[in-house]
Amino acid sequence: MPAKHLGEVGPETFLVVPAYNEARVIGGVVSSLLTTFPNVVVVNDGSSDDTAAILKELPVTVVNHYVNLGQGAALQTGIKHALERGARYIVTFDADGQHRVEDALAAVHMLREGGCDVVCGSRFLGTTSNVPRTRKIILKAAVRLANLTTGARMTDAHNGLRALSRKAAACLDLSQSGMAHASEIISQLRQHKMLIREVPVQIAYTEYSLAKGQSSLNSINILLDLVIGRFLK
Amino acid sequence: MTFKYFLVTVLIGFIFYLLLLPRLDLLRKGAIFLVVLTMLVFAIQPDWSTSVAQRVGVSRGVDLIFYLAHLTLFFLAFVYFLKFKKMEARFTKLVRELALDRARTGP
Repeated sequence: MPAKHLGEVGPETFLVVPAYNEARVIGGVVSSLLTTFPNVVVVNDGSSDDTAAILKELPVTVVNHYVNLGQGAALQTGIKHALERGARYIVTFDADGQHRVEDALAAVHMLREGGCDVVCGSRFLGTTSNVPRTRKIILKAAVRLANLTTGARMTDAHNGLRALSRKAAACLDLSQSGMAHASEIISQLRQHKMLIREVPVQIAYTEYSLAKGQSSLNSINILLDLVIGRFLK
Repeated sequence: MTFKYFLVTVLIGFIFYLLLLPRLDLLRKGAIFLVVLTMLVFAIQPDWSTSVAQRVGVSRGVDLIFYLAHLTLFFLAFVYFLKFKKMEARFTKLVRELALDRARTGP
């Protein structure tokens, strides 16, 4: 699976994978990541299944939240850990197998070329788009809203694949523990004047990732979280 | 008439309880004391609440108390919501620091 032509990734690159009850797929996802990325940090976000036991057998760093806090909180924990270990590049990657390793690699290479601080994956960039229809409508609306509130011009708002430079990662202080963190990341990066670029990625909409992923209805909860977050600032 | 006595007993009991509460600062204690005292007066003399209500443009005393109670409860709900959010943030921090301290790399 690793895209050989892009070359290897050194230990200065850390992959952060937030995982919550992913026992069925986490082993496979992490193993495929390890073929390309030497430093993988999995944040086990208080899983109640065998996720922790499976991770114990793998040569990865495991950070265990004792209770479930949410994906935003898990990402922040993983990023903090990577920064403490001196990471130069940090890639966030979903645990459910929806991302491709070669896309993560492409994001890191784009970041290393310079000219930007952050590379975000976008499923709407490039040629192929296998996104289910209702999901597409909601995601597009989310993009519009995110662009409106953050002032960014992105094509995808809720993509779990991102590559951050150390400087950009250090800017993040996520208070949205839940799923509203995606917009929060962009708005904090914008506040610190970080340059964001996008890289086309493909999402594997498997039966598992669709079931495990957010229901489209959750977009309403995210919206509410964002509005409340504004008031609390 | 019996309900009146019940109400007065409860309110007087509450005042004693309030005076015994050691943890509250004097300002809060005074504010709560004033509110309970007003309630006590209105419980004994319900007609007075109506005259107060009419002075602020509400026809019945019960309505005025109803509106005030609504506002108070809404305010309290908001205060507790903020407190809850703050506690959640501290909790997150605690769990995160524990997790980071005990991070380990597998075989």
